[in-house]
Parts: sequence; structure tokens; C-alpha cells
Amino acid sequence: MIAACRAKSLSAFFLTCALSIIWPAAAQAKTTTIDDSGTQALEPSVSMRWKTPTPSRSGGGNLMVGTTTLRVRLNVTPWLRRSGRIYLDLPAQQPGPISTSWITQGRFMPGQVHSGNRVLIYAGPISTPFLEDVMKFQFNVDGSLLPRPTPVTFHFEMDED
Amino acid sequence: MHANPPTSGNRLRRLLIGAALFGAAHGPAWGYTATLSPVAPLTVYLQVGVGSFTGDYIDGGQPQNNTTINIVSATIAAAVVGNGTAQAMTTNSTATQSYWDGYTYCSVPGQVYIGGFYRTTGATTSAATVTATVPAALTNSTGSTIPFSKIAWTSSGNGDTGGEPFPAGTFVNGAVQNVGSMSSNTWNESCLTFSYSNNTVPAAGTFTGVVRYTLSAP
Repeated sequence: MIAACRAKSLSAFFLTCALSIIWPAAAQAKTTTIDDSGTQALEPSVSMRWKTPTPSRSGGGNLMVGTTTLRVRLNVTPWLRRSGRIYLDLPAQQPGPISTSWITQGRFMPGQVHSGNRVLIYAGPISTPFLEDVMKFQFNVDGSLLPRPTPVTFHFEMDED
Repeated sequence: MHANPPTSGNRLRRLLIGAALFGAAHGPAWGYTATLSPVAPLTVYLQVGVGSFTGDYIDGGQPQNNTTINIVSATIAAAVVGNGTAQAMTTNSTATQSYWDGYTYCSVPGQVYIGGFYRTTGATTSAATVTATVPAALTNSTGSTIPFSKIAWTSSGNGDTGGEPFPAGTFVNGAVQNVGSMSSNTWNESCLTFSYSNNTVPAAGTFTGVVRYTLSAP
């Protein structure tokens, strides 16, 4: 009888554990990196220039800015006839803090993001296999972090509703 | 003996292992990489006397070339020549305002503005240096000379506190001497007040010489 009770308690324990693992997973939207391999850059690299040509007396004013235009093409076939939210994710990366802002032609939302964050650019139904827009980005980075050409990576993420 | 056929439990375990492996596998690394390339990252600007900017820095002004050579001079009355009292020198430079913000930093004709910056990307580097290339002497039309070492300067600026990036000094005859330095990505400026020591009696005449200032960035 004692053995039976123990077995019953053990089952309850595992059931509790299972529930505690499953519950939060069910509450979160699934995030998937979107195939953006069809995206094309209209410029080969981003020419970064001093935002102000001369420095300040205190040594500040070292921001460099540069723009680039991308023809963004996201393959959203896996989410066709569903709804979702698309984010632009700029991970924290070398050379250090970076920010970018962008304007679009209307398919995606304009916005800005600092490295280590993501920002919503689309929310709604996915009714076509591809979502496309022309996005003009402006990157901002402290010139002290940019001694040489430096790659910066971002990607697009889908949160399924 | 023969091997037992896999039970349904074994098959399930294999499926789970397979699923786990599949889940751990990496998909294509989607994402876009933009290469940020600094353009013309190294910029230097040095102004001694008058200079040119399209406007003040704080209004977006940009440095321009100015080939003017300003004059610093003193006319010594015969009665005081060589009496050991230093004689103030004046300049034909009209530069009084800092191109950084338009602030009236120097006073003319008593002071010569000297300023500039050294712009570079990357971490702070060693300072850029400003040197003066000094002839051995000033000369007159008959070949008489006055050593350049008879000319000295003090350094200040309206409203300034602390040390000057271009400190006081005295010319060294026939030398390339360091007259100041600039930390990277900072604006540096001073006002130089020149004087002639007047402790010898040279031949009469007009003595001239040209000192060239050079900014060298690492």
C-alpha cells in the first residue's frame, strides 16, 4: 500500500513537472528567423562619414553615419494564410553599440533600433509567399569603434500568432 | 540466438532521439550583413593666423584652405633699441573668433590665433604634433641678422583656464621645434602673444624671416 502511494506521488510529481514546462511554452509565440536570402543591397557597402566634420573641444561629437538601401524580400511561405508579426532584430555585436533607423515604401513600418534589440516592422495576415519593400537604412556608430570596415548583421524574425 | 526485433519502446526511443537531433540541427543562417566602411576617416586642420571655414563648427561648418601668410612685427624706436625691455609684437591677422563656435577667443593685433584638430576613427591614438620650422635668423637687406631666439611668445585665450595646447615658448634658431600637440578628435586652440627680447643692438634695417607651422598626425 505504501509502495502504491509512493508510485502515485511520483506520477503526480512528474505530471506537475510536465505542466510547469509545457505551460510557459504555450504562452509564448514561436519565433523563427525568416529566409531573407532574396534581399539585395543597392550599394555594396555603407560609407560611414563623420556626422560633424570637426570634433568638439571636449572630444565629443564622434558620431559617424551612413546610409544604404536594401530591396528586402522575405520568404514567408511557411506562414501563408496565417497571421504573424515580423521584427527587425539587430543583435548586440562588434564593434559595439550601433543604432539604425529606416524608412520604407509602406509595406513595412519605419523605425529605429539599437543593437541588442528588435523592433516590429509588420503585423497582420500573411497572404502572399513573399513580403517585399525597399528599406533605406541609416546606421549610426561612434567613430572610435570603427577603425576599419566592419560587418554588421541583422535579421528578420517572425512571431506566429 | 537471434536478436530480438525492436519493441515499440525501442522504436519510440529512436524516434525521440531522431527528433532531438533534428531539433538541434542548424538551419540556414538567414540574415543580412552590411559592411560599415569609414570614408576619409583621417582629417587634419591647422590654422595659424587667419583661416577659412564655411561656417562655425556648431552650425555644420567645414574647414577650407587658406594660403594667407600673416605677419608678426615690431618697430623698435631708436631710443630704446637694445635696452633689454621686451617689445610687444603685433600681427596683421584678423582672426579673433574660434571657428568652433564663433566665440571671440583672441584679441588683435596683439595675438595670433592658432588652432585645429586631428580627426581619426578607432580608439584614441597618440597626439598629433605641431612643429615650427625656424630659420637660423631674421635677415635684412644687407645681410645682417637677428637670431630667431630673440622672439618668444606667451599663450592664452579669452576665458581660458588650465593649460594651453600651444604653450608659451621661444623660437630655437635653425630648428624644427615642437610648439604644441592635439589629442585625437578634440578641438585645440590658443592665442599667441609674441615679443622681441630687444637685448642686443643689431644693425639698422628691416629684418624678416618666415616660420612654417606643420601639423603631423600619427
